Amino acid sequence: MGKKFSGVSQTMSRFRGWIQAGATLLTNLHLPNFLKGGLYQGAGKTVCVPGLNCYSCPAASGACPIGAFQAVVGSSKFSFSYYITGFLILLGVLLGRFICGFLCPFGWFQELLHKIPTKKLSTKKLKPLTYLKYAVLLVMVVLLPAFLVNDVGMGDPFFCKYLCPQGVLEGAIPLSLANAGIRAALGKLFTWKFSILLSVIVLSVVFYRPFCKWLCPLGAFYALFNRVSLFQMKVDKSKCVSCGKCARACKMDVDVTKTPNHTECIRCGMCIRACPTNAVCFRYGFGNGKETSKKTTMEESK
Amino acid sequence: MSCGKKAAAQVALLMAGAAMLCFGVWRGEAATVLSKAIKLCLECVGIG
Amino acid sequence: MNMKRIFALAFAVLMVLALAACGAKDNDKQADMSGDGSAMTGEPKTAEEALTLHKELLERENALLSENAELWEKVFMEADKGMAMIEDGKNYGDFLLDTIEGAKDQFTDEEYEMLKESATEISNIENKLTELEEKYPEIMQESIDGAMSVPAGSDTSTPPDDGSMQKFPAFEGKDLDGNTVKSDELFSGNAVTVVNFWFTTCNPCVGELSELDALNKELAEKGGSLIGINTFTLDGDETAISEAKDVLAKKGATYQNVYFDSDGEAGKFTTNIFAYPTTYVVDRNGNIVGDPIVGAITEKKQAETLQKLIEQALAADVG
Repeated sequence: MGKKFSGVSQTMSRFRGWIQAGATLLTNLHLPNFLKGGLYQGAGKTVCVPGLNCYSCPAASGACPIGAFQAVVGSSKFSFSYYITGFLILLGVLLGRFICGFLCPFGWFQELLHKIPTKKLSTKKLKPLTYLKYAVLLVMVVLLPAFLVNDVGMGDPFFCKYLCPQGVLEGAIPLSLANAGIRAALGKLFTWKFSILLSVIVLSVVFYRPFCKWLCPLGAFYALFNRVSLFQMKVDKSKCVSCGKCARACKMDVDVTKTPNHTECIRCGMCIRACPTNAVCFRYGFGNGKETSKKTTMEESK
Repeated sequence: MSCGKKAAAQVALLMAGAAMLCFGVWRGEAATVLSKAIKLCLECVGIG
Repeated sequence: MNMKRIFALAFAVLMVLALAACGAKDNDKQADMSGDGSAMTGEPKTAEEALTLHKELLERENALLSENAELWEKVFMEADKGMAMIEDGKNYGDFLLDTIEGAKDQFTDEEYEMLKESATEISNIENKLTELEEKYPEIMQESIDGAMSVPAGSDTSTPPDDGSMQKFPAFEGKDLDGNTVKSDELFSGNAVTVVNFWFTTCNPCVGELSELDALNKELAEKGGSLIGINTFTLDGDETAISEAKDVLAKKGATYQNVYFDSDGEAGKFTTNIFAYPTTYVVDRNGNIVGDPIVGAITEKKQAETLQKLIEQALAADVG
């Protein structure tokens, strides 16, 4: 039996910004390192953080799951990481894309940019682009580091090296500001990645969370688990008046009344706040929970 | 997905995830993660 | 309204915790680091720079002592005049620390903490002063003769921890085949030694191994050499050593790779390096020439800088 909690859902959605800020801080705890231009080198970095946060960030408290996966897969000893995949599966089932909506620092960054007042464009017509992130996950994170190896059997972390803008934002830029040696090492690769970061920044102002929708491999992985995640969106059919406000409020182009656990839903709760009858709420638990239809048979979960 | 099937899938995945995690640690992957995460391989983060 | 305040408070607590916890931990590291010197930033390159630094440090020390003159008076009263002031390996700052410890009950907790802090800083300053004086003996003369001009905006907030460490830390270790290697013998036997730091799972590091081997052969003709230090092999980790040898063999690198203990001077120096690959150019006297080169030397910029430093070292050796 899962818990349906309308009051808590409302509060959580309202304070999402604070929760995101807190999560970003917890993920990047070692703030004094920014001034020193060094990395945290303690044992905490054996564990991955749930969101996209580069290990090269001076303040990072843990390892990035995508980076760590590529590190293991790219090493000559292994070609697949059970540790990271197992960890991500656990997180996927326990939280799903709630992580994207509440715990990812780069998601928060894009949302902050989106607050800049400009004309906003809808991504509804760009839905096919949402499949791109799965290709990024499969090709850049899994296949290339495992198969495109050098003569020693080592592969490059392709996503981190060529695509990830978070690494530039949190790692390359702070480090090169504080550290002359690294500043001298900046070259063509940095120029390429910096331009990617700039593009994501510009796009984030105009579109809502473009990186999350179209490029993020971590989001792609968690998206696969939205259907089986314990953290769900629940629509009370008896309260829903089909006004469509939730679908209009949703910036990820999801209609929660039709597909509450769509792969694109990041559980941000904007639909919860938009609903005039409080029909939508978060739900945490196994199975589907009590059906509120007038059927006499109650489908119990384990 | 029906309720019972879904719950079963969730439990199965949780167990699979936990098992894979333990297996990975036993294999020594966690040590690899740590060793890579505390040293900055410049190219790996896109510097240079 | 209530929830908002709770959240804001929780957030503030979290921030304070983060800064405090990490600040304290890393401040200790700072205190240690300034002893060894960080390898990353530049060092005073000329005698004039060293002189300015020297003056700044002395100023800082005096400032510390004059800030709480009465407290320090008490400390001096307690000082054991019979005790030799400068014992082996200790300096004025350490002497002050010992005295403060001995006179602990004369002060309140606050005063005690503050005195200890200042004394530790003085200890670090003294260390740096000694290093500078060893490196540039001429500044001893000039600081006595020259007018003590107050350096504009003396940067006391960021004490110059820019590694006045010009000497490559001494080490005694082994190479991957088990032969003993001593740093002083190694450096003095070569006009120039190029030291490359790498680790086994670092792609660009491994990628440049063949180039480094070619460079080693080139240097041998000029009376120099190249050595590698694989940070995984420190403390003689057997598995790491065999893996490193494997990789070196696959890339055809025949030059010497050494390892040593991670708790020695050189070991700590290595742990402070976190960007790889990093290459140092060391001259015959064991001094580091120029700044460390960060990034693979297969890149044009790095290769040029490396050549320049090698030329510099070779030229200085002849002269």
